[in-house]
Amino acid sequence: MNFCRKLLLLFALTVFLSVAAVAWLVSTVTRRAFEQSNEAQTAALVGQFQREFKRHADDVVRRVGAIASSDATTRMALTLNRAPADSGSFLNDAVPIAESHQLDFLEFVDARGTIVSSAQSPAKFGYPETSLGDLSQLTSKPAFLKKEDLPAGSSLGLFAVRAAKIGDKPLYVVGGLRLDRNALAALELPAGMRAMLYQVLGSGFSPQMLVASEAPKKIEKLEPLVLQVQQQPREISQLVHWSENPADDETVHAIPLNGPDDKLLGILLVGTSRRPYVEVKRHIQSAAMLVGGAGILLAIVLSSWAAARFTRPIEELAVAAREVAGGNLHAQVEVSSADEVGDLAEAFNQMTRDLLEQKERLVQSERVAAWRELARRLAHELKNPLFPLQLTVENLVRAREHSPEMFEEIFRESSATLLAEIGNLKQIISRFSEFSKMPQPQLQPANVNEVVRGITRLFQAQLESRSGGAIACKLELAASDEPIAADRELLHRALSNLVLNAMDAMPHGGTLTLRTYDNADRAYIEIADTGVGLRPEECERLFTPYYTSKQHGTGLGLAIVQSVISDHGGTISVRSQPGKGTTFVVELPRNLEKLHAPALDGSVTVTHHR
Amino acid sequence: MKPSGWQWLAVSSIVLSAIAVAETRPQYGATLRTATSIAPMSLDPADKAQPDTVAKRNLSQLMFETLVTMDDRGRLRPALATSWQAAPGNQRWQFWVRRGVKFHDGSPLTPEAVAASLRAVNPDWSVLPAADSVIIERNVPDSDLPAWLARPRNAITKRSEGGTLVGSGPFHVSDWQPGKKLVLAANESYWGGRPFLDGVEIELGKASRDQLLGLDLGKVDIAEVVAEQSHRVSTEGRRVMTSAPVELMALVFARDRQSPEEGKLREALALSIDRSSIRSVVLQGAGEPSGGVLPNWISGYGFVFGDTQNLDRARELRSEVPRAPAQTLGYDAADPLARVIAERIALNARDAGITLQTTTSGTSDIRLVRLRLASLNPRVALLTVAASAGLSAPKFTGNSAEDLYQAESGILRAQRIIPLFQLPVGYALSPAVEDWNQDRDGSEHLENVWMGSKP
Repeated sequence: MNFCRKLLLLFALTVFLSVAAVAWLVSTVTRRAFEQSNEAQTAALVGQFQREFKRHADDVVRRVGAIASSDATTRMALTLNRAPADSGSFLNDAVPIAESHQLDFLEFVDARGTIVSSAQSPAKFGYPETSLGDLSQLTSKPAFLKKEDLPAGSSLGLFAVRAAKIGDKPLYVVGGLRLDRNALAALELPAGMRAMLYQVLGSGFSPQMLVASEAPKKIEKLEPLVLQVQQQPREISQLVHWSENPADDETVHAIPLNGPDDKLLGILLVGTSRRPYVEVKRHIQSAAMLVGGAGILLAIVLSSWAAARFTRPIEELAVAAREVAGGNLHAQVEVSSADEVGDLAEAFNQMTRDLLEQKERLVQSERVAAWRELARRLAHELKNPLFPLQLTVENLVRAREHSPEMFEEIFRESSATLLAEIGNLKQIISRFSEFSKMPQPQLQPANVNEVVRGITRLFQAQLESRSGGAIACKLELAASDEPIAADRELLHRALSNLVLNAMDAMPHGGTLTLRTYDNADRAYIEIADTGVGLRPEECERLFTPYYTSKQHGTGLGLAIVQSVISDHGGTISVRSQPGKGTTFVVELPRNLEKLHAPALDGSVTVTHHR
Repeated sequence: MKPSGWQWLAVSSIVLSAIAVAETRPQYGATLRTATSIAPMSLDPADKAQPDTVAKRNLSQLMFETLVTMDDRGRLRPALATSWQAAPGNQRWQFWVRRGVKFHDGSPLTPEAVAASLRAVNPDWSVLPAADSVIIERNVPDSDLPAWLARPRNAITKRSEGGTLVGSGPFHVSDWQPGKKLVLAANESYWGGRPFLDGVEIELGKASRDQLLGLDLGKVDIAEVVAEQSHRVSTEGRRVMTSAPVELMALVFARDRQSPEEGKLREALALSIDRSSIRSVVLQGAGEPSGGVLPNWISGYGFVFGDTQNLDRARELRSEVPRAPAQTLGYDAADPLARVIAERIALNARDAGITLQTTTSGTSDIRLVRLRLASLNPRVALLTVAASAGLSAPKFTGNSAEDLYQAESGILRAQRIIPLFQLPVGYALSPAVEDWNQDRDGSEHLENVWMGSKP
């Protein structure tokens, strides 16, 4: 990862973490504020409900008291005090009286506790009122919660009991108001809040028992809360997830409502929508994402600027260093600042200048060394034939002076020797001349397999008639006959050199393997022997001109091979293990598209296998 | 000669008597204003959209007549048919059509018109006009065919050229506002003689309470009085006339008994019902508790069927059934009396350990129904009640009272119906209404009514 990316990552991470921290902080503060507001609103609503409850209770007591003291009730009580009392005529009296006093429930109960007339259940006439126990004990009590059994089920109501005491048989008036939607509608609810009433008219949970102006669609979601309050009648708050959308969530506060005997009869459920909080939270998240996105964009811009400001000189230095590594010691960088980076650039420039001077000195010294080596080699090569020449000429001179009679014979022998040595000198000179006049390859389509087969045919006789031992020649040729662009003559000469080397490496016989293989754009030729092998240091110097490990070699054979391969744009490498043999690998580019192009650059790689 | 005191007394007596005679003699003219709780959308007597009630029958017979009618004792009397005769086997009947009768559109009543009208209502009958009679052939012997013909649905009607349905009754339609108001005018050419009244104005769909209010305000001359109010209305000084019990209130099960256990539950339910309390309190003493389908005054044996509560036996029967699912008891939401009675029955059933949930839904396990006595002929009445309740038709082996008893017992043994009460119909009349009378089945005869001068 480059410096620019690191810088960008650092900036982006910093911005992201900062924005995330701020968003989290704001969300937390908002949530706490919302919860505090929610608690305050719920407490206010509960207080309001309790006030409404008391107002309803007082209202019920007032209305029931008014009925108990009304003329109609008095007449009823008077009739029931007579003997025999005809209570059948009062069947329908409760309904209009309840309607006129706006009561949902009204029953007249005689002194024996028998229902005389019932507004909510007219059919109950003659049945005993058993749900309230001794009615005389309730005539001075405030209103209370009570479950009322109705033909269509049960209902919850606020009830009061008052008595019309005419004669010695009181007539009890039991009246009440239903705790229903209308009662809940009387509550002034803030926006986002709602009140529901669950009537505990049996064990377990039943959706039908929920009274609400707008019942939730999935009432069963309230079941755990209701059951919890039924098991432990105390105030409980719970978060209810109505849907997948968190904005539909509601914090529901459950308040148990008990009857006069402390029996749980109802549960007031105050729901507070979390929509405002969720929407604020979403706004915060949106703002955070917006700020974060803008921050990251800013980070990109800043990091780009910083990169331009700080990393461009470094990149220029890197490019220049790569140029130096590639051999261009003239590479220089612009010194654009006076800071550490500028110092670095100046130091780099100084380094390349120094390297260039050192290289020039080295080249001069190498050139001198090469001339010396050439002179040494020439001297060495020329000295060998010159010495016999000198001896032969001195021989001739001595024979002329001391043995004229034998001069003729000696002259003939010496002439032959002189000619032979002069021939050696010419050969030496022609080799050096040949090396210096290596021609450029004339590229034409060449089949590598054919070239290898030609080599085999050429050396077949020599391989088989070796005095030290025959050499088996093994061909492993590629199945493909795709040609390459090559100078067949030069390639033939190079491969012949390699085969000759291999034969020299196997004085006692062995196996010569010629192997070809290729891929889409390259052909490979391997010449492997099972000879004595080479040491690593020999491998390192193998392609150096005038280096030879042979007693009579000129040291130019492999140099010529390397030159030919390189002129084809290919490479030659060697891998060898002492005692096991040596393998030369020639890699040639196919280069069919460059059949008429100039000669290509090449390189030599040396691989040594132990 | 100066008249003596005795002479003055005699003259005064004669004048007063003349005045008294003049006041009690029927007078032509005036319009009778009445109201009814039903609100028919059609005047067709064969229309099945409206339930078969006494009010509907009374409304129909003002405009339409049948070939045969019945008197107060259930005896057949000639109407549009002057006589009739059955061929041996009682499968082929011939009815001679009264001559000189005209429909309200002026067209004469002919055997063809009679045959067409009867065929339209009874497509499975073979009704053929003859020279001055119609011949009706049934595919089974039917000794009660004249009684069937006395039912209002078999009234002779005809479509006029304008497409309206006309009859030949004592009144013809003057103004018809379906479901709201019906104004009738006297049929001047009525074969039985012009009615005393010039017309009858009938307000439709009026609740009983509103009718009584109208009566008190002088806006209505005859108001219907529901059974449970008849006692109170009469004690308040109004002129109330009630019929014999002509309407059966009963519980009808939606399906046949499926198992002996279900039979025990049904018997337990029947025994749990406190008919006496319901009658005394809810019905305010009106009507009669009944264990039979037909009222005792028609069958003569109705008292044989038990109608008293036996809660112990009901609980015992209930205990013999290990599992008794809750059942729904449906009632007509428009009938306040039905609601109270249904709820009371549910309370009584609960005392016996049977759970009934009252409902106004159209589908229920048990339904509280009112079944009108459709005929004074007991067999026709029993068949009609069974058909109205959706029960299997009773089988009659003969025409004797014992055969009738066996048929009715068969219905009760099937346990599809639990009779509760036989209810009368009542009317409150203004003092000006004269010569109003009704048969025991509640049938009015407004063609005989005239309006006096009493306030």
